Amino acid sequence: MLTIIRTMLVGIFRDAHTLVWTIVFPVAMLLGLGLYIDDADYSERLLAGVLTTNVLFGAAMVTAFYVMAHRNRGIYKLLRVTPFSTAAFIGANTAARTALTLLVSGAVVVMSVLALGVKLSGLGLALMLAILMIGAVCFTAVGFIAANLSKNESDVNMISNLISFPMLLTSEAFYSLQNAPDWLRTVGRLLPFHYFVEAMGAAVGQSVDIGDVLPPLGILAGFAGLCLGIAVYTFRWDADGAAYRAGKRAAGFRPGAEG
Amino acid sequence: MQTLIQAVGLVKRYGSRTVVDGLDLSIRQGEVLAIIGPNGAGKSSTLDMVLGLKKPDAGRVSYWREDPARYIGVQLQSTPFFPGFTALENMRMFAAFYGLRPTDSELLEHLGRCELGEAARTDAARLSGGQQKRLAIAMTLMHRPQLIFLDEPTAALDPRARREVRGLIRSLADSGTSVVFTSHDMEEVHKLASRIALICGGRIKASGTAEELLATHGADSLEELYIRLTDNAL
Repeated sequence: MLTIIRTMLVGIFRDAHTLVWTIVFPVAMLLGLGLYIDDADYSERLLAGVLTTNVLFGAAMVTAFYVMAHRNRGIYKLLRVTPFSTAAFIGANTAARTALTLLVSGAVVVMSVLALGVKLSGLGLALMLAILMIGAVCFTAVGFIAANLSKNESDVNMISNLISFPMLLTSEAFYSLQNAPDWLRTVGRLLPFHYFVEAMGAAVGQSVDIGDVLPPLGILAGFAGLCLGIAVYTFRWDADGAAYRAGKRAAGFRPGAEG
Repeated sequence: MQTLIQAVGLVKRYGSRTVVDGLDLSIRQGEVLAIIGPNGAGKSSTLDMVLGLKKPDAGRVSYWREDPARYIGVQLQSTPFFPGFTALENMRMFAAFYGLRPTDSELLEHLGRCELGEAARTDAARLSGGQQKRLAIAMTLMHRPQLIFLDEPTAALDPRARREVRGLIRSLADSGTSVVFTSHDMEEVHKLASRIALICGGRIKASGTAEELLATHGADSLEELYIRLTDNAL
């Protein structure tokens, strides 16, 4: 498992698109907006927004494209005839993505402290770590779901956008929804990103109340479990294949396998 | 000769179309079995059912041991490499799928046996067609399988690459590994296979050594035999 996670991380770091969109872009966005809007309160919101949005796009969208590429190349079909379980493979992918998220988030946090003067507490940092880990798991699973619902690259693009943008637009990642219509806020509350942003927002800053962080973090953890379950349940071996659930029940190497 | 896999009465339907129709197939220890037949004859569906990738609508597949996945190697028609990974990294990933953690020197030695030592640190996607096929086969051999499935291993390769892959199959057979391969190249089948199974219309139309088949059907070549038997069925 560790070998797979390590090798995947090496692959991720070698990919120019990943380097730009997952690492360079969030740091540039943080510094650009943070230095332009020179306000301590906004810098904290910006940090929470950049961290969570980076996980949303980095984990969900990039994972969806990776999964599609692996599937179309026949890697999953080949994987299926090995003793390695699909759940373990999804787990390894998620772990590699989570490790990347933590590394990038670390860089973003350091830049926000050094360049924007954001002040963080020890408790807040510990909670941010927990929030990022759970968020990365949740949105990597969302990426798997987007890929599982897609048959080709166009589908992945459309479906991951359909999933990600409503989450972003109905959240308070970068702006307040205080004056937004109720229905918009209600829609937001039905989506995991809302709780990710809420928990992160409560953990960023000098005075952190754990009571403000735990409820949204708990809901986010619930979404993570649900999304992981759906990701495994809907996993497809190949573009035309049945979902994992059906395939697993139907086939596999079994002595005396019968139809 | 021990039977490794025994398929009895396999049936596969897609909607109202029956692709495999009560097919029986055995795969024995130490043999090189060529599965031939026209496109759409049911070869791929048969292999998919034998490999557990598809559930038969009827019939039964028995394996020689409880955990066959650990002892079977599979190379698909496509060469499925992880995008952006070198040959060495692809090898490491697939070794890990079998619970192996080979060192770099072990991987390099293994790649060297498949004449890929110099290509070890090259992006797998940038290798030549022949090198990619050899890498795909090398990946299936990491866990020292008893039985290896190769789906059209020489398709779309130039003559030199074909020769290299055939040499690899021969050396596998010489080392006692059972090999099952599909091919449309009758000369290749004649040269490599110790037994041939011709699938047509979802059934085994003929099975035996090349000499037995030629003698039984009074054909001069496998190509003639193939055309005659598949013509009758179509």
